[in-house]
Amino acid sequence: MIAEHVGVGKPDGLSTLTGVQVYTYTGGMNPVSAAERLTDFFRSRHRMPTWREMMRLFRYRSPNAVTKLIARLEQADVIRRDRDGHLVLVNPFSHARVLGIVEAGFPSPAEEELADTMSLDEWLISNKEATFMLKVRGESMRDAGIMPGDMVLVERGATAHDGDIIIAEVDNAWTMKYLRHRNGRVVLEPANPRFRPIVPSEELNVTAVVKAVIRKY
Amino acid sequence: MCGSPLLRSSFPRAILHIDGDAFFASCEQARDPALKGKPVITGLERGIAASMSYEAKARGVTRAMPLFEIRRLCPDAIILPSDYETYSLLSKRFYDVVRRWTPDVEEYGVDECFADLTGLRRLHHASYAQIAARIQGTLTEELGSTFSIGLAPTKVLAKMGSKWKKPHGLTVIPGRRIHEYLRDLPVEKIWGIGPQITAFLAKQQVTTALQMAKIPLEWVFEHTTKPFQEIWQELNGVSVMPLATEPKMTQASIQKFKTFTPPSVDRAFVFAQLSRNIENACIKARRYHMAARDIVFILRTQEFRHTVVELRLSRPTAIPGPIIAAAEHAFPYLYRQGTRYRATGVTFAGMVTDDSAQPDLFGASVAIEQIRKVYESTDALDALYGKHSVYVATSHLAQTHAQHEGERGHLAARKTDLLRGETHRQRLAVPMLMGRELADCQA
Repeated sequence: MIAEHVGVGKPDGLSTLTGVQVYTYTGGMNPVSAAERLTDFFRSRHRMPTWREMMRLFRYRSPNAVTKLIARLEQADVIRRDRDGHLVLVNPFSHARVLGIVEAGFPSPAEEELADTMSLDEWLISNKEATFMLKVRGESMRDAGIMPGDMVLVERGATAHDGDIIIAEVDNAWTMKYLRHRNGRVVLEPANPRFRPIVPSEELNVTAVVKAVIRKY
Repeated sequence: MCGSPLLRSSFPRAILHIDGDAFFASCEQARDPALKGKPVITGLERGIAASMSYEAKARGVTRAMPLFEIRRLCPDAIILPSDYETYSLLSKRFYDVVRRWTPDVEEYGVDECFADLTGLRRLHHASYAQIAARIQGTLTEELGSTFSIGLAPTKVLAKMGSKWKKPHGLTVIPGRRIHEYLRDLPVEKIWGIGPQITAFLAKQQVTTALQMAKIPLEWVFEHTTKPFQEIWQELNGVSVMPLATEPKMTQASIQKFKTFTPPSVDRAFVFAQLSRNIENACIKARRYHMAARDIVFILRTQEFRHTVVELRLSRPTAIPGPIIAAAEHAFPYLYRQGTRYRATGVTFAGMVTDDSAQPDLFGASVAIEQIRKVYESTDALDALYGKHSVYVATSHLAQTHAQHEGERGHLAARKTDLLRGETHRQRLAVPMLMGRELADCQA
């Protein structure tokens, strides 16, 4: 995730140790991913791993290798020891602190700038588990910019408000319309004058709320 | 005596077992409203019922029932090809929804999991039963399919609870009421108790779960094995089975076993099936950065007889080449001319982490390093273009033939109704709502 060129400041009395050397020394486990694994472990288990667990975590076969890596991480201020000598994470709530390791290596400011960006997935989807997609077929939402062949991302179980574009279940089929409240009644309104609004006769089953429309050319 | 509680406290630990109700069929009903309330069966491509909706169960359809029988029993049945890709996506979402309430989730099967809620009442400002109800409500609301839940002090009791009332049941078994649930339950219904133990217990006049729970401790520890002792303790409300919550970092063994229809006598075709299983097992081994030393090849005949060859490699590997070469040597022992085979399989065992694989004496390491690079590339190609975009030639017959008769005609709708940019190899990892769109009333 973070650049490969990572070094640790002055381990073992060496004054200019580059990231590449650190790499070989720790046998494939670079300090950044080691710190991330420790943080992940701590977050999921609410405690630090035992030496044996760290062997598994770092895929080491000897406890001695763990000791060396730990010394390195202590020096890099990722972990420290409490009064009783137990290991604690200096900052258990963030991976960002790990960027501090980039000292003697090749600092990579671009990475830090990118920490505040999100992926298209993250931007489009807020509740991942509840998000489904639907391929649009009809033209009834044309004037809302939703065309046949478009893909809409919909969120199941989301609360539908007046004016939302929703997916409802009508006559054993899906329909996508504006949800409108008119004089205490619910109306499903198309965005195309060629179509008539639907006034549900019984209770309306709103399945999902449309969160995004995607068209790939 | 039967009236006295087995345990005094209610929830020394609070374990949930959550079980999907007819999961595959229910996934299908959740994405197409036209299927709701109808007898829906999945498994069209393999000719037998893989999963059936409650409406189909009510009509007498059972698991693995042949389709012709289903059509006779239930002429209006809707029989769909399995869409394992979508079921897997929804299965992962199922675990992730449960993880919103507790990090301790054991993914026990595609449609079931255990979750430990112990100590989380204050965090959620709710009783254990209320938390369970919220999880259940959210699952139904967001995934669109229903789940049954058992809440109890142990895994064995929670598992019993989720079966107690289905579908969409929530069965709460506090410690002081365990005995009420065990009273009339036959021992063979207990998770982990098979026909052997059932027969053994019957000889001691023990036929119900409550009788089993009340067997004296001394007797249990003297006459039974550890797995039984654990079940016995869990029945008594003492939690001794930990949840396997960590995602698997390593694999003790890898098995790939695949049936094909119709059964085949063709030597080359059967070998190609085995070859593809080897490739699949290798892909999985490489994903875990493991290599296998012990290999077991299995052929299954039409009559469900098996031939097995076990062998040990001189050097652990996760590359198909040497294993397929070994399979070629083993094949004369496995395969009999004229016999109809219905399945092949391979098991990898003696797994070691791949970086510890030692160079061998005969200097093959350099060549192996080169082949390893080849497979790094094929793995990268697979990641880009989908699984088996490049495969070993010995698998060709298996790769180019449908695994099951008529499969080409029974692709899941999601695999044919593609979005622009999707291919038959790779699709977006988001489940799609399917089915008819309402024929709009034109003004």
